[in-house]
Amino acid sequence: MIEAQALSKRYGAKTAVDAVSFTVQPGKVTGFLGPNGAGKSTTMRMIVGLDNPSGGRVTVNGQPYAQHRAPLREVGALLDAKAVHTKRSAYNHLRAMAATHGIPNSRVKEVIELTGLGPVAKKRVGGFSLGMGQRLGIAAALLGDPHTVILDEPVNGLDPEGVQWVRHLSRGLAAEGRTVFLSSHLMSEMALTADHLIVIGRGRIIADAPIQSIIDGQGKVRVRVRADRPQDLLGSLAGDGVSSQILEPELLEITGVEPRRIAEIALRENVLVYELTPLQVSLEDAYMELTQTEVEYHSHDLPTADQAAAPVEGR
Amino acid sequence: MATSTSPAPTQQRPRPTRDAGSGVNFGRVLTSEWIKVTTVPSTVILIVSTVVMMVGLAALAAWAISITQQDLASAGGPQGGPPPGFDPAEQAWMVPSSGLIFGQLLIASLAVVLIASEWATGMIRSTMVAVPKRMPALLAKNVIVAVVAFVVGAVSAFLSYLVAQPILGEDLDFSLSTEGVLPSIINTGTYLAFIAVISMAIGTLLRNTAGGVVTAVALFFVVPVIIVNLLSGLADWIPDAARFLPTNAGDQLVAITTESDALTQWEGGLVMGAWALVLLVVSLVVTQKRDV
Repeated sequence: MIEAQALSKRYGAKTAVDAVSFTVQPGKVTGFLGPNGAGKSTTMRMIVGLDNPSGGRVTVNGQPYAQHRAPLREVGALLDAKAVHTKRSAYNHLRAMAATHGIPNSRVKEVIELTGLGPVAKKRVGGFSLGMGQRLGIAAALLGDPHTVILDEPVNGLDPEGVQWVRHLSRGLAAEGRTVFLSSHLMSEMALTADHLIVIGRGRIIADAPIQSIIDGQGKVRVRVRADRPQDLLGSLAGDGVSSQILEPELLEITGVEPRRIAEIALRENVLVYELTPLQVSLEDAYMELTQTEVEYHSHDLPTADQAAAPVEGR
Repeated sequence: MATSTSPAPTQQRPRPTRDAGSGVNFGRVLTSEWIKVTTVPSTVILIVSTVVMMVGLAALAAWAISITQQDLASAGGPQGGPPPGFDPAEQAWMVPSSGLIFGQLLIASLAVVLIASEWATGMIRSTMVAVPKRMPALLAKNVIVAVVAFVVGAVSAFLSYLVAQPILGEDLDFSLSTEGVLPSIINTGTYLAFIAVISMAIGTLLRNTAGGVVTAVALFFVVPVIIVNLLSGLADWIPDAARFLPTNAGDQLVAITTESDALTQWEGGLVMGAWALVLLVVSLVVTQKRDV
């Protein structure tokens, strides 16, 4: 269990994390979702005490991370795949980490097998691919068989097989009753892995809810309608929060009205309806909607030839 | 795109059990730091080359002294005796510690590399996640580097003593029981231990290998030379103060005999030790507050 209370981090005038409060519960995978620069990594670094908070506090299993007698047995963290001496072998790196807690070499070999590092364990980490580096970071996180696992962008650089492996691993750890806190900027990955989502943008929590309720709550109902007299139907539907688009002469997309209500109105207006399909809002749509105003770095369309002369700002 | 979530998982297994005696303690952190020192090739190479270089230098020094002695002897007779201030026997007694001049350079590099390379590679974050109280990790590193430096210094000096005897020949060879020789051999180790701690503190504060080595070399070699050669004429107190620079004080620590107005061996050792202690404390305090 991870509990953050009014946790803040400021770098000079810039506020990276702005008084966030949240709880990460055991027994499920909690996704930490946000655009780049939203404060995900900074928050995770504060959880394990690498960064000192400018304000507020964060505890893991009831205590600040540094106060635990055996921190690696409480929390395993992958924060940065490159937190390894490049000249040392993966095996020796894990051995040195394990030694701080008196974790036996048998466990080191176990996590090497578990993460599929066996063939490269005796090689220098400097030559590792990004994916191998991630696996080593995950191996280090699992060394102490911790109650709480924190993984910052764990699927970065992994091949599809590796992505799937991380997904199974996370779900498996959560199923064993552990707390799993997983950051990503990839919504699609979260949709498959997480049970609960904490969405962060510009250092503030903008959503903290079960994944399904984020999907349900954010996107308004969208319905695809095929009808013979779309204009008449739209005339009667018009109202607060209802918007529509005519895609083809007889094809409409209506947002903000339940399908049943559309059918009722069509019946009353004697409009023939031959398709009425509720459209599932994807997590991606929900996420875009949530973070629209909270994205720090907006991308712009490429400048056209006459604009190209003027420099385009990245934000 | 349709999304799906699995049903909320139930607790299938009890929480992993934990061994109550499995926490972090200083002995374990020492073990971890020792594994780190011995599993990076560059540190091992530096340690071995320090010993080789120190013994080699001592052999050269012994050879130079014996040549001088022979020259003096053959030119001797009527002119009588060596020039004032030059006593080949006393020079010979200094042979065991003569490798320090370059040995300290290598030990300083080793100490800087040990800590600064962790910052350069990001390893420091792994270290401080494993030991979030930080101070034990840094202290353990200092203990390891100080002990390594001490052993390297004392062993090199003793080997230098053994190697030098046949080179010095019958006229100049001396026994370990010659006054001041054994303390000088042991304190060659002490000298390097202090150099190591000072250098590691510099590396910790600068977090940069190249910058750390340059700063350490400047403090140990360049500053004393500048003060003695360029600045000592400016004011009376400057040469006085220069005696308290770490390497100048260290020279007194390994000296066989000291001038009456200079620091004694004990005083030299205390001054050098004070440098090490102060810098160590500063580096610990700074590390405690720093974001990693």
